[in-house]
Amino acid sequence: MGKKKRGHPDVEELLSRAWCYYCERDFEDLKLLISHQKAKHFKCDRCGRRLNTAGGLSVHMNQVHKESLTSVENALPNRQGLDVEIFGMEGIPEDIVQQHNQRIIQNFYQAQAERYAATGNPPPGQGGKGPAKKLKIETPEEIKKRLAEHRARVAAQKTTMNGGSATHTPLEGRPDGQSPAQNASPGAFNSPFPPPGGQYPTFPAQSVPGYSPPPQYPGAYPPPSIPSRPGSNLPAPHGLPPRPGQPGWQGSASTIDELVSGAAQEGDEIDQLIRMAEARIKPPKKPETPTGAEPPAEGGEKKSKKEKDKNVKMIYDDELSPEERMAQMPRYAFVVEAGA
Amino acid sequence: MAPPATQFELAQPPNDAISALAFSPDSPSRLLASSWDKNIYLYDKLQNSGGEEGSHGTLLRTFEHRAPVLDVCFGKDGNEAFSAGMDWQVRRIDLDSGEQTTLSKHAAPVRRVVYSKEHSLLISASWDSTLHIHDPSNPSLSPLPVPLPGKPHAIAASPSKLVVAMTSRLVHIYDLSALSNALASPSPSAQPPQPWQQRESSLKFLTRAVAAMPSDAGYATSSIEGRVAVEWFDASAESQARKYAFKCHRTAHPQPDGSGSGATTTTTTDVVYPVNALAFHPVHGSTFASGGGDATVALWDAEAKRRMKVYQKFADSVAALAFSSDGRYLAVGVCPGFETGMEDYSGEGRTKIFVRELGENEALPKGKGK
Repeated sequence: MGKKKRGHPDVEELLSRAWCYYCERDFEDLKLLISHQKAKHFKCDRCGRRLNTAGGLSVHMNQVHKESLTSVENALPNRQGLDVEIFGMEGIPEDIVQQHNQRIIQNFYQAQAERYAATGNPPPGQGGKGPAKKLKIETPEEIKKRLAEHRARVAAQKTTMNGGSATHTPLEGRPDGQSPAQNASPGAFNSPFPPPGGQYPTFPAQSVPGYSPPPQYPGAYPPPSIPSRPGSNLPAPHGLPPRPGQPGWQGSASTIDELVSGAAQEGDEIDQLIRMAEARIKPPKKPETPTGAEPPAEGGEKKSKKEKDKNVKMIYDDELSPEERMAQMPRYAFVVEAGA
Repeated sequence: MAPPATQFELAQPPNDAISALAFSPDSPSRLLASSWDKNIYLYDKLQNSGGEEGSHGTLLRTFEHRAPVLDVCFGKDGNEAFSAGMDWQVRRIDLDSGEQTTLSKHAAPVRRVVYSKEHSLLISASWDSTLHIHDPSNPSLSPLPVPLPGKPHAIAASPSKLVVAMTSRLVHIYDLSALSNALASPSPSAQPPQPWQQRESSLKFLTRAVAAMPSDAGYATSSIEGRVAVEWFDASAESQARKYAFKCHRTAHPQPDGSGSGATTTTTTDVVYPVNALAFHPVHGSTFASGGGDATVALWDAEAKRRMKVYQKFADSVAALAFSSDGRYLAVGVCPGFETGMEDYSGEGRTKIFVRELGENEALPKGKGK
C-alpha cells in the first residue's frame, strides 16, 4: 500500500485509526484517544478530575461527591450507558465495531469517488473494492448522459454561436474545450456552467453554525476545530498534484465526515439538480430570499449532507401557538364573566 | 434512572402543565412556577437546607387564579410577583401576604409578563394584540396600551430593550426608556409609542420563545421548528451579518436498514421538536439554555456559536427554563408537550420541576478543558 502517497489516507489506514466509542471521533493514536476520553467522557463535572473509565468516574462520583453517575457525558444518545466498560479501544462491543468499520468504509469510498470526480485523476490501484466499483460504474453513465443534456440545453440557450451543439455528443463536441481529464472522470462534476438559476450559491459561513449535528449522528459533537463548513470548499486544487505530505491532514481533528462533506460540496450541485429533475421538482427560484440567515443555513446544511431526501416530521406545526390550542380546550377555557 | 444529586426534583410539583418558571431576584432559593392548573406555586429552600437527603424544596404556598396562569415573573424584589392569566388579567401578587391586585385587564388572555428592573416597568402582552405598560410602583397611573400588529407569543426584556415576538414572524423591539417616558407623561393626543426597530424573524416558523442577553447586545429566538436564532440589537450591517440560526432539538430516526451511517441510500426521518424555552445565563452573558419538546436542555455559547452541553433527557417535554439570579441554578419545568392535532391534553401527574445546580464552570464559555 502506498503510504500517504497522496495525502489521502487509504482505507486500511482509516480503519486502523483509534476511535472513541462514545462519540465516534477518530484519533491519530491511542494516546490521544485516551486523553480525549478522559477529558470529554470521564471527567468529573464537579471537580474536574479525569478518570480512566466510566466505571471509575462512577465510583469517584459516589465516594467523593456522594452523587451517582447515570450516563456518560458528551456521548451519542445510544452510547451513554455505563454498562459497557470502555478504555481506549478496549471493551467496544463487536457489533458496534462492525458498524463503525462499515461507516468508515462507506464514507471512504464516497469521499474517494467525489475526490476523483472533482480532480479528474484516475483511481489508483486500490480500486478493486465493491462499493467503489458501484459508485463509479453505475451512476456515472446516467450522470454523464444527463449532464450532456443539461450542457446542450444551456449551450443552446446561451449562445447561437454553437447552434449545433445540442446535437453533438457531449464527449467530443464540447464547445468549451474542456480538459480531457474531465471526460475520463466519472461525474465530470465541475462543470463550468453555473446551474440554472444558480440555486446553490456559496453560503455565508456564519449561517452554518458549527454545532448543528449532522443528521446521521443524532446529538453527535462535531469536531470542535471546525466552526463552520465553508460552502464551497475544493477538496483538491484542479489540475495540481495534491500537496505532498499535507502534514495537518491526518493529525488534525478532521474526520472522515469533513473529508466527505468537503469533497461532496462540488458534486452535489449537479447531482442534486439531476435528482430534482428526476423527481420533477422545480428548482427553487430564489434561494437567497432576504429572510436573514435562515435559508442559507438550510441550504448549506443540505449541501454538506449526503441525504437529499430526508423526511422531516414536525411534532408541532400550526399557525396557532400550542397555548392557544390548549386555551381552546374545555378543560382550560375561561368563561368570561358578565361585565368582565 | 435516579437523577444525579446535582439535579433534584421538587416535591409537590404543579398538578398540570407548567407555563413559566421564575427565580427570585434576591435569592437563588426562591422559585415561582405558574401552571395551567390555575395556580402559582412558590417554592423555597431549594438547596438542601441541612435537612435529610432528598428534602429538596419546600412549597411555601400557592396563589390561586380564576383561570390557567400563562406566565409569572418577579417584580422589584423577592416578595412581589406578577402573573398573566387566561382570565385576561394582569395581577400583582404580594408573596408575603398573598394579596392579589389586578393591574390591568386585556381583551383576551394575557400570554406573557416581563418586569424590567432597570426601568421599574411591568409589560404584559396579550392575545388581544396589545402590550400594556405598567408602573407597579405607581398604581395610580393607568396602564398604557401599545397596539401590536399581531398576537404576541413571547417577550423579553434586556436592560434597555424590549423584544416582542408575534405571529406572522413579526418582531418588534421597543426602547424601554421611551416606553417609560410615554407612560410617565400621558397625553391623550400622543401617538402610542413606536417600536425602536421592526424586524422579521430569522426563523421561518412560529416563534416560540425569546430571551434577551443580559449584556444588552442582542437576543435569541426559537421556533416550533427545532431552531434557534441569535440576533443583535445593533442595526449596523456588520452586526446584522453576525446573526445566525441553527437547528437543534431534533432527533434523527434512521430507517430500518440504518446503521445510522447516513449513506446515500438511507433515508432518515428527522423528528423536529419545538424549542419551548430559552434563558440567558445572568452571569456568563454569552451562555444560554434552550429547552425543547425532545425533553432535553442544552447550553449554548452564543458568541462562540458552540454547544457547550446537553443534559440528560427528561421524561417529558421541557416547557420552561429559568436561571437563578446568581446563575448557579437552572430550573427546568417538564410536562408533556402539546403536539399538533391533540384533541386532549393533560399534564396531570407528569408535570415536574427539576432544579439543577450548575458546576462552577458548567456555564462558563471556553476555558473548560477540552
